[in-house]
Amino acid sequence: MKIRTWRLMAGQGFRNVFRNRIMSLASISAIAAALFVLGLVLAMVLNFNNIISGLESKVEITVFLKDNVQSHEIEAMSRQLNDWEGIKEWKFVSRDEALENWREEWGEQKYLLDGYTAENNPLPDSFHITVENPDYVTEMVEKLRKLTKVEVVQYSKDVVDTITRIANATRILGLAVVVILIIMAMIIIHNTIRISVYSRRREINIMKYIGATDWYIRWPFIMEGISLGIMGAVIAGSLTAGIYYLLVQQLAESPMEGNILSLLQLLPLESIIYQIVGLFLLVGSVVGVIASVLSIRKHLRV
Amino acid sequence: MIQFKNVSMSYDNVTHALRNVNLTINSGEFVFVVGPSGAGKSTLIKLLLKEIEPTEGKLYVNNVDLSGIKPKEIPFYRRGIGVVFQDFRLLPDRTVYENVAFAMEIVEATRKEIRRQVPAILGMVGLSSKANSYPNQISGGEQQRTALARTLVNNPSILIADEPTGNLDIRTAREIMKIINLIHRRGTTVIMATHARDIVDSMQKRVVTFDKGCIVSDEEKGEYSFED
Repeated sequence: MKIRTWRLMAGQGFRNVFRNRIMSLASISAIAAALFVLGLVLAMVLNFNNIISGLESKVEITVFLKDNVQSHEIEAMSRQLNDWEGIKEWKFVSRDEALENWREEWGEQKYLLDGYTAENNPLPDSFHITVENPDYVTEMVEKLRKLTKVEVVQYSKDVVDTITRIANATRILGLAVVVILIIMAMIIIHNTIRISVYSRRREINIMKYIGATDWYIRWPFIMEGISLGIMGAVIAGSLTAGIYYLLVQQLAESPMEGNILSLLQLLPLESIIYQIVGLFLLVGSVVGVIASVLSIRKHLRV
Repeated sequence: MIQFKNVSMSYDNVTHALRNVNLTINSGEFVFVVGPSGAGKSTLIKLLLKEIEPTEGKLYVNNVDLSGIKPKEIPFYRRGIGVVFQDFRLLPDRTVYENVAFAMEIVEATRKEIRRQVPAILGMVGLSSKANSYPNQISGGEQQRTALARTLVNNPSILIADEPTGNLDIRTAREIMKIINLIHRRGTTVIMATHARDIVDSMQKRVVTFDKGCIVSDEEKGEYSFED
């Protein structure tokens, strides 16, 4: 078809939205609601991911060595660590230092550790390694575990795992809700297009007699579906952006500093809103297209 | 040329809307199709527009077997056939000009072609002054002229008129017949189903009379030969 024809059809589809105001409003609200929830889920998951990667970048690997390690073996390992790629820095903590650190940590209660001396020190020698890139962590841990003098390798994976679990649960639960809402939006758009087809049946009949092709008759309705989806996406996008912005403002102004809530450092609006709005427009128009195509197939006998 | 060869049509396999109809209409002919309600006139028109398929027999239009036209090709087939109805069937939210231009938009004519052709055709049917009126602002006769103008923009070789004067008074009806006659004289084959006895009798054209799905008479320069 010619560009001019496409323009005519897009215009026709857009006009249909206004002709059929009440149903269009219902459709746009439904799709906006579904996308808004999608936006919330997305914003949460993106923030979780951000927290996770922040933690991962700080991940320190602790390598506890076996009890009978000789000093030349420690030197050999040190040289090895110097050769390995991906290590930002490393520090050797001898068992004596470790005991000293322990005492310091316990502060006033350190007398409880008085029974421990250099001879019966239960603590092992250890290396504390910080990696350059969180992606290296797992690999590094595997490599370290293979070393003969290594007893145990620990890294603060627990927190990351917990947050990952929360993020996954949010994703799954949230997306389930989104899918349900999208199906509902589809049903409503489907119905809207059906009514639009019905209200234009005379016109469709005339078009058929004049020799309009089936697609010429169908396209305006598909355009109508797309228009509904895009309008819903725009509303949901503004809503998500507005609420997220307020949330960021609120948290920035709150007096909680340096505690656990510093984890709740939200991503700035600009860094997530383009992705979210882009996805909204995509999902909105795809939902609009699918709903209208289904409706046309069922109700538009051309 | 239009040929019905042993065409029968039944909607329910019990009653027949058309029974074994054989009819040939040459290119450029003017044929009235008359008969009481339910005689099969509408079925004949629906078959010609390929809205329905005959239960039996073959139908040829311009030497093309209609049963061989795929559903996708039907719109292109219909572009060669102009059709007007008793109820005009104009788009109420478009002006006279737009209604006519609409038929050209559908076949994706250029804006230039539309701007050139629509005013010329509105002039031909005497509607130049009503170009910007909406259907509900003009008389029935003017609405039917708009409908005729709409069929003309795509230069159909066949014009099918289904009771085109059914909603019009006698004087307006005669004006419409003048335009249809004008179209006929341009070389268009005209098939007109009608109940208007005085029009049929005064025009001295071929008259095919149907009754209960059969052709009961077919006369050159015929007359309206049955009582309603």
